[in-house]
Amino acid sequence: MTRPPLRILLAALGGEGGGVLMNWIVAAARSAGHGVQATSVPGVAQRTGSTSYYIEIAAPNDPHAVLSLVPMPGRVDVVVSSELVETARVMSAGFVSPKLTTLISSTARFYSTAEKISMGDGRFSEDTIAKAAETMAKHSFLLDLGQLAIDNGTFVSATMFGALAGSGVLPWSADHSRLQLTDPKSQAGFDAAVTAVTALKTERPPVAPNPVPVAPPEASGLQTVLAHGTSRMTDYQDAEYAQMYSDRAQSLIAQTDLTDHRAVHALTEACRRLALWMAFEDIARVADLKTRPERFAKIHDEIQLEPGQTLTITEYMKPRPEEIADILPVNLGTRIMARVESGRRFPLLGRGLHLRSNGIIGYRLLRMVAALKRIRRRSYRFQIEQAQIEIWLTLMQTALRQSPDFAMALAELPRVLKGYSDTLMRGKTAYTQIMSQVVEPSVTTGADAANARLLRESIGAALADDSHEKLNAVLMGIAPDPAIPNLKKAAHA
Amino acid sequence: MEVSFAKEIEKLRLGDGDMFHGEGILAVTKALLQSGVSYIGGYQGAPVSHLIDVMVQAAPQMSELGVHVEPCTNEASAAAMLGASIMYPVRGAVTWKSIVGTNVAADALSNLASPGVLGGTLIVIGEDYGEGSSVIQERSHAYAMKSTIWLMDPRPNLTSIVTCVERSFELSEASNTPVMMELRIRACHVQGEFIAKDNVKPAISMQQMLTDPAPHQYEQLAHPPVTFGHERKKSGERMQAARQFIADHKLNELFDGPEGEVGLIVQGGLYNALIRALTELGLADTTGRCDLPILALNVVYPLAPDEILAFANGKRAVLVLEEGQPEYIENEIGTILRRAGSTTTLAGKDLLPMAGEYSAPVMTAGIGTFLRQHLPRIGNQLGDEGYAEEVAALQDQAAALLNAPVPPRPPGFCTGCPERPFFAALKLTQQEIGPVHYSADIGCHAFATFAPFNFGNSILGYGMSLASNASVASFQEKPPLAVMGDGGFWHNGLLSGVTSRLLNGGDGVLVIMKNGYTSATGTQEVISSPDTDMKLRAAEQSATHGETTIEDALKGVGVKWLRTVHTYRLSKMRDTLREAFTTKFKGLKVIVAEGECQLERQRRVKPIRAKALQAGDRVVRTRFGIDDDTCTGDHSCIRLSGCPTLTVKTSTDPLKTDPVAHVTNGCVGCGLCGEVAHAATLCPSFWRADIVSNPRWWDRTRAALRRALTGIPA
Repeated sequence: MTRPPLRILLAALGGEGGGVLMNWIVAAARSAGHGVQATSVPGVAQRTGSTSYYIEIAAPNDPHAVLSLVPMPGRVDVVVSSELVETARVMSAGFVSPKLTTLISSTARFYSTAEKISMGDGRFSEDTIAKAAETMAKHSFLLDLGQLAIDNGTFVSATMFGALAGSGVLPWSADHSRLQLTDPKSQAGFDAAVTAVTALKTERPPVAPNPVPVAPPEASGLQTVLAHGTSRMTDYQDAEYAQMYSDRAQSLIAQTDLTDHRAVHALTEACRRLALWMAFEDIARVADLKTRPERFAKIHDEIQLEPGQTLTITEYMKPRPEEIADILPVNLGTRIMARVESGRRFPLLGRGLHLRSNGIIGYRLLRMVAALKRIRRRSYRFQIEQAQIEIWLTLMQTALRQSPDFAMALAELPRVLKGYSDTLMRGKTAYTQIMSQVVEPSVTTGADAANARLLRESIGAALADDSHEKLNAVLMGIAPDPAIPNLKKAAHA
Repeated sequence: MEVSFAKEIEKLRLGDGDMFHGEGILAVTKALLQSGVSYIGGYQGAPVSHLIDVMVQAAPQMSELGVHVEPCTNEASAAAMLGASIMYPVRGAVTWKSIVGTNVAADALSNLASPGVLGGTLIVIGEDYGEGSSVIQERSHAYAMKSTIWLMDPRPNLTSIVTCVERSFELSEASNTPVMMELRIRACHVQGEFIAKDNVKPAISMQQMLTDPAPHQYEQLAHPPVTFGHERKKSGERMQAARQFIADHKLNELFDGPEGEVGLIVQGGLYNALIRALTELGLADTTGRCDLPILALNVVYPLAPDEILAFANGKRAVLVLEEGQPEYIENEIGTILRRAGSTTTLAGKDLLPMAGEYSAPVMTAGIGTFLRQHLPRIGNQLGDEGYAEEVAALQDQAAALLNAPVPPRPPGFCTGCPERPFFAALKLTQQEIGPVHYSADIGCHAFATFAPFNFGNSILGYGMSLASNASVASFQEKPPLAVMGDGGFWHNGLLSGVTSRLLNGGDGVLVIMKNGYTSATGTQEVISSPDTDMKLRAAEQSATHGETTIEDALKGVGVKWLRTVHTYRLSKMRDTLREAFTTKFKGLKVIVAEGECQLERQRRVKPIRAKALQAGDRVVRTRFGIDDDTCTGDHSCIRLSGCPTLTVKTSTDPLKTDPVAHVTNGCVGCGLCGEVAHAATLCPSFWRADIVSNPRWWDRTRAALRRALTGIPA
């Protein structure tokens, strides 16, 4: 019986050039004297959806092989994937086998809509996929083929081809594959990928049975958070405000059993949230951040500004009476808000403005707004936020004494206060609801692990959609849908 | 058109003995020319869009041969075109996506098949079934049977497909019956090879004109009383002739094997997957040599009873491998065997799944069960259960290691798509006025049924959205909304939807996406596509602006409430939608949502820009960005956009744990981000950068002044 054909599955996103790659492989196989067949199911998937291509290359002594058009799970020799979650999809379908499959995957991420629309962090864990890939494949080569393509000014199809050729699974030389490419940039990308894969082959570290735990995120340690928090307050307001932050943090530290690592974790998170909350974004803060030299440097970098080009930067601002009231002194702010609530109009506000922040007028105007920082301490919103912070701090102190679990969840609660205008209002509504229906009753009766779970679920549900449908369900005692992505994260935290 | 086939079209000129390398659908085109067709037509749709693209782009080469090419406005018009072959000895072929296209063509097909044809007539259908399909799952087989049209299902390699095309014309002429050939998705896109023949110039064509029309022959009309005679012919002499031809020319293939106690009967299109299944079971080798006899049906309708009986003769049992439901072939084989008093046991859908694709794993399991029942000597040795367990174990292991379901990734609107802003506007409108009944349609706009928009109460077919809510309008307080593309509008929507609503004076809001092309199928042209002059004038702007064929047609049939709004004017679109849903005007309200397909526009813009940059001209590039210092990571902007380049990244702020929004370098500066930020009062984090290459003296002077007075470089 003749040898089975070499079976190659390509996983990609529509529009990435998977078809081009398929045709290169087909042409290389043909000119190397192999019978070859390839096919795909593009359809509308070419519009950014996930798609796949399948190639079978017959053994050279088998010119009349009957080649299949559809890959069989567990019977694929090579998988080449342009994106990490697509690699996960291919593994889920059973196409990667430890007995057979060489898996070449880009580590690049192209987040799916499902991951992006979460109000918190809905991203699929990349380490999990990488670990699974190493376990599921006979040989695995994980490398950022997208970045390699960008570095060489070409497309991911070229670096995928290079990685495939360099892995040594094709029954012809890498040089023969390279002959299919005519464009110097594609060749450069191909070469870079061959080199990268060869390096992975030779320097392959033994697969550790217990992979090294992921490095903790920056600023996770209490001292680091406190240091960042203090400097943030100085930057935001002044040294006095920084002192206020330190004092508030100290009031939490004083209630914490520092020998209990769960309590310390809760404390650290609380100090992080406290810093973010105290540095809330009012129009003075936004104007200040938008006119800093380092911000313009960052933009130049991001848009890859070249020497000799000129640039204008336009900001999209739409200050409503509410945002103006926020930064004005309390009595003035209160009057404006009363007028807003009575439904009367403000002729000049609530319109979209296009401000040129690197233009002379735009820049000066933004600096003037940034200068309102000086009256922030007396402002309408400042008073409201400080009062809210104090209430949360007091509850936090009690929680840290009562239950580290609950304290951990309570520390996360200010996370629902996000965004601007309507988004922020919805966040505040969720916050108030969770405060009055979950936190206050729990603290009054003595918080425990059960309360902690309910609180975590409420926060997760509040971040799951912007209609509060899931939050209302959780608050009414309906068990949360396990598909709420943030629940998992909150539960791990 | 989205894909250029310039290189591939050269392959259509290959002559006798040349080796053709290429895609399945291109091989079909070549086979049509080798068969001497006089005319080709069709309507686009995956998986046969490329056939339309190739024939349109190859029109000059086609006219050298005298072949008339007609991309039709829908499948009914393509099917009706075949009427030429009823009275004239000319060969013709049309193509479309099935099942949906065959549904639309059904009336013309009945009227074609009844009188029958003089010249060979072939309908190439892309059987959009199984993985990658974008339509309801039904079989085209039913149409073949009910209209008496022969159905080919060739083995999926280019030689078989090309032979099948050539034989189809002969069969059609031998039996005066139109022939359909079904090609599954992967067969349409398969890359393979075959030995070419010379193209044949048709004897009657645009180059070889006839002086006189065919004489009036009442017998050729699908009109009573001759239709009664037609029916008798269809099931009588034409069927007889077809069976004779199929047997004489061995259109179906017998692959014999040593284990003759049982046998397999398979649709030709499934043959390769069957061989793979048998290889997995250890019953075949890679060349197709098999232990069990196989009858591969390249013609699945009609069957030749003698052929079936000869195959079943002496066998304990036969297994029919037939994809999709119901099991037409199996039922017919059952009838053949029973009528002949055969004792051979018939197996099929009792052992294999009723619905879904017959992939190699599915067939592996089915054949395993069949052999255990009817050939236990071999059946009990098989490893098919082991294979199923192995796959299940792999899938379980992956699921366990991945620890969470893999997020779905359906297709979506392209970067810079002009349809996206409309759906952002609709989302904002619904936040004000509450939800409305939404009738969705076929086309790119159907991507709005996915996250982040999640719109749509029903989809009833191409161009059918307005028609589908005619009765909904009668019992809804708010007028229902129908959305369709310009493709759907011309395909069906104008007549089925607009004129019907006007005739009945019904209420409702219709939105027509005027992007200039049938974009979802690869930007083929419609009657309202901007012409070359308009595209030249528009340069980088939307070329659909000023093209008023749709508006003129609407006014012409009597639409009184009509607005055209550019989709990127988000606030205006929201205001217009609000007005449409709240106005006192009762009747049909039409909003033409205008904005040229970004794929077509970018294709035009890129060379213009490259040329200008080369020449040292002033070129402005626009893109958007987000300040990660002010972004709070709530992702409201993403929920209103869904643009591929508007994504998330880990915040550079060490205190923030949630990812912030981020615009990648793929941004084409369409402007939606800014519009949404304003219209929805979202957040101040968006910025727009206008980057001027080869700046002029005034650009440089202004930049210098700005530097001096603000202290910011550049």
